Amino acid sequence: MKTLKLIMATTALSFFSLLASAEPTTKTTIFTVNGMVCAFCAQGIEKKLAKLPQTQAVYVSLEEKIVAVEARSGQAVDANLVTAEIKDAGYDVSKVETVDGSVAAIKQSMENKKTAENKK
Amino acid sequence: MSSSPYPTHCRPVLCRKTVLALATVCSLFIGNSALAGPMGFKDSTMFMGDFSSNWREASANYAVTPRDALGMSTLYMRNDDKTLTREMAELTYTRLLKRWNFPSAQLNIWLPVGAGEIRGNDFSDRRTVFTPGLQMDFETQRIYFATNYRAYRAEDINHDFSSVRSGFSFYETGYNETQPWLIVEARRMHDLSDETEITPMLRFINKRYFVELGYSSTDEARFNIMYIF
Repeated sequence: MKTLKLIMATTALSFFSLLASAEPTTKTTIFTVNGMVCAFCAQGIEKKLAKLPQTQAVYVSLEEKIVAVEARSGQAVDANLVTAEIKDAGYDVSKVETVDGSVAAIKQSMENKKTAENKK
Repeated sequence: MSSSPYPTHCRPVLCRKTVLALATVCSLFIGNSALAGPMGFKDSTMFMGDFSSNWREASANYAVTPRDALGMSTLYMRNDDKTLTREMAELTYTRLLKRWNFPSAQLNIWLPVGAGEIRGNDFSDRRTVFTPGLQMDFETQRIYFATNYRAYRAEDINHDFSSVRSGFSFYETGYNETQPWLIVEARRMHDLSDETEITPMLRFINKRYFVELGYSSTDEARFNIMYIF
């Protein structure tokens, strides 16, 4: 009986593990942008990137000098296209990296970091 | 002089009437190219307004490329004792000559030029006016500096305008928050005013708008606005 329970538990764990690995992981591409010092001027970046068909969400942080772009499900962020759009908006991209997680999660993480720094 | 500075009896020249009509319509909404960057991002339209009793300017432009904008502007200016006035409308071209993007700062050099018509209360005809200029600005999230020169040249008219602006933000803000600044501007209009006008202003920058409120050393309230879409 004990062995049977162990086998059932292992089977269930394997099943859920397989299900979890089958789900696509949300990925966000983060662009570090030079020259982004003013919200009035930087709004062009947000507007242009939000219009791209593969864009799910955009987050602009003046403090971190980053623009984070999350792609729609099943699509990918075209880093070259986004870099060109940021350049068209008047800025330069100095670094591009792709991370796991949504724009909402990155935004929350940045806000938590800011709150923690303010408490110090 | 709170009404439109443009006459209702324009000569029947289509392009002049069209320019004046469009510029007057723009003046209902809009400002001065010296406030911040004088154009927006590619495919954006920017309205600008700079208003005090002796200086009323409204302008708009459309960024056809990331570095070039075409637009129009109307300007009413008056001398210190309020006896001499100038009214003009012009078509404008703004060129971003050079931009340096640093990790935490931006430096720009702009070339604003314009051509149009000017009227004055001390002469009867309308004169063709050319307005070449040069602007440089440097900005971080906490510090701002700009210098602006604009020539207003027509027959027997030489009203060279120059200004210097500098200021600081009280604190850094997030992208979606309104950021307050204290800016001080010194400006001078050659051959129209003997005084250098000093204006401390509170500036508020949001994503969509840019507003300045001030009171000058010449006892004039000042209101500046920029809006982009």
